[in-house]
Amino acid sequence: MTLNLPTGSRYQQTETTPEAMAETVRSQLKKPGWRLGHLTARVLANGRLALEALLLDTATGSGVICSAALPDGVREYPSMTALVPAAHWMERAAGEMFGLRAVGHPRWKTLRLHAPVWVPDLAPLESGASGTPIPCEPYAFMKVKGEGIHEIPVGPIHAGIIEPGHFRFSCMGEIITNLEIRLGYQHRGLERRLAEAPLAQTRFLAESASTDTAAGNALAHAVAVEQMLGVTPPPRAEALRTIALEIERLANHIGDLGALAGDIGYNIGPTLFPPMRGAALALAQTLTGNRRQRWYIVPGGVARDIDDARRGEMIEGLNALHKQVRRHVPLILENPGVLDRMEGCGRLSSALAKDFGMVGPAGRASGGRYDARAAFPHGIYPAGAPVAARYTEGDVLARARVRADEIESSIAIIRALLDDLPVSPARVEIAGVLPPNAAGIGVVEAWRGELIHWITTDETGRIARYAIKDPSLNNWTGLAIAVRGNLIGDFPVCNKSFNLSYCGNDL
Amino acid sequence: MPAVTAAPCTGCAECAGVCPTQAIALAQDGARTDVSLDRGLCVGCNLCVETCPTGTIATDRSTRTATRRREDLVLSNRAITPRPAAPSGGKPFRRSLAVREVSTGDSAADLEVIATTNAVFDVARLGVQFVASPRFADTLLVTGPVGRAMREPLLRCYDAMAEPRLVIAVGTSAITGGLYRGGYAEANGVTDLVPVSSFVPGDPPHPWSIIHGILLGMGRDGG
Ligand code: SF4
Ligand code: SF4
Repeated sequence: MTLNLPTGSRYQQTETTPEAMAETVRSQLKKPGWRLGHLTARVLANGRLALEALLLDTATGSGVICSAALPDGVREYPSMTALVPAAHWMERAAGEMFGLRAVGHPRWKTLRLHAPVWVPDLAPLESGASGTPIPCEPYAFMKVKGEGIHEIPVGPIHAGIIEPGHFRFSCMGEIITNLEIRLGYQHRGLERRLAEAPLAQTRFLAESASTDTAAGNALAHAVAVEQMLGVTPPPRAEALRTIALEIERLANHIGDLGALAGDIGYNIGPTLFPPMRGAALALAQTLTGNRRQRWYIVPGGVARDIDDARRGEMIEGLNALHKQVRRHVPLILENPGVLDRMEGCGRLSSALAKDFGMVGPAGRASGGRYDARAAFPHGIYPAGAPVAARYTEGDVLARARVRADEIESSIAIIRALLDDLPVSPARVEIAGVLPPNAAGIGVVEAWRGELIHWITTDETGRIARYAIKDPSLNNWTGLAIAVRGNLIGDFPVCNKSFNLSYCGNDL
Repeated sequence: MPAVTAAPCTGCAECAGVCPTQAIALAQDGARTDVSLDRGLCVGCNLCVETCPTGTIATDRSTRTATRRREDLVLSNRAITPRPAAPSGGKPFRRSLAVREVSTGDSAADLEVIATTNAVFDVARLGVQFVASPRFADTLLVTGPVGRAMREPLLRCYDAMAEPRLVIAVGTSAITGGLYRGGYAEANGVTDLVPVSSFVPGDPPHPWSIIHGILLGMGRDGG
């Protein structure tokens, strides 16, 4: 299970035991700037399972893979969620995907594979592992007891045009006392597919983890593969990838601000913002040939270069969009009628946001400073990373303000790169095989926050494990906590202020 | 999306080799090679267009890409035997349509469906509105590959709709499962689950293509 990580690599490995794992992880995470990137498992060459935690140092953009092999046939290990709350959804996911049990987990239940749709002993990623997988248990919602408490079940199919998931509210009158979020409806078997498919197909699957984050996922994949192959993309490719990543952020943040206004019944949102989002998608179309930037970022660079005519078109489009942004964003964020609804609504304290490892705009609206662009290499970053937009109130308004600030910084980054695009090829050829027993880790600040693609190869260089950690895996719990004590009628605007991915969680 | 042109194919098989979803099939017919390209599997990566040395596979910029029949998504350079006209989705919906969207794993397609309602694409001017309940809906619009866990919710939604009703499959994954096809999650699209009235290929399709698919379902666009 020892990985072949070159000296000087940003990532190192430490080996420990399942019993000592929780303490090892906790003591590492006590150091300032460290966070839990992911926690999952892997089938080793000898057929046993190993737990693996990815610990990230957000100050230096490096990390440690903490591995603990389970003895042959053993399927249980002591849960680390009590010591490291950020691990709790990750332990549940690893449990069902590998047939493991985290003993002592405070809410042990399935995350994606709910019976009876999934047969109870299916553990899709454990194939080859020795021993019998521990079956998933039937799913039981937490019951809130007490006089006057009633439950409101919502979903999986929601009223609007949005991804499926189930929300179970326990309410006292119109006040939410508890929200349990059950996802998994869009489980597509992506991670197993990624370990089975020929390498040429991998980037297509990797990018599809959530199709609204095509640039983010494709970039995380490319960074991981390039790291394993020791390839540095040419400077022009890095600039073009960054533009794609920032266009994705720009388009989605604009859409979110408009939808937030729409959710409180302020019609400027749905009227003025969709065309602005469309203008951002037009930039994407000019850059990549596709509104959603599909299949643009590839290992080695980008799929197509840009000529000066299209570059000029983009600068013009960006300037026109910037004028609209300046005119329209204040209509929402400097409007007493809007502030009245957003201020104090859906508040998430800084302490809880930190405990649960919240990322992205939601993390930075609750006092977090973490923006992966400031630490981990992807595109032009960490050089050229913007000052992290940060607020401490943790409410809907703070999450809206982070987006408004990031719209400005994304526009500035795109403009600077378009004005001064490095001259070099936009792509280099890469090898068609990965090195054996290697690991590659792509950490990207996608529009929803820290997105990780973590590849591990076996002794023949085939992908043995492809783990994806969507930013939403960290943040769903934050939403559930933030709505407690709020009016059920404010749920849509709270939910939109987080705007999390369901399919990135479900995989 | 890619299209098959009349330019003679050399049978080099480069296109089929690069396609990530096996959307291209080649068959030898004496000296000539028949190329067929299934847009129901195509994710629009453009690799085949870039590799084809003869221009037999070329980009087609049209957004009128939807079809009423699954087999019409398969483009070919074989001499075309005229097929009987596809049955219209039904005249009852010619002037207005209430649509219930069910999303099952393609969030970009969802965003493009939402875009059809904005001021630029403005599907409402065609009498189309998106509704919250299947009870109000004439049409089930499906995005995403419908993995095992979404099958029952989707069928329940369909069963809750009054007849006559239409189903529109939006996006490659909704049509066939696309990249997910054949996995343990059985995410193979909606085509085999309920009768589909119109198919909109693309990963994701352009909003104009989605509107084209809706119009076909309504029995418009020449239907
Ligand atoms: S564009 Fe479509 S048919 Fe061509 S290679 Fe890509 S997926 Fe296959
Ligand atoms: S269509 Fe083009 S790439 Fe495909 S076999 Fe024919 S000539 Fe070769």
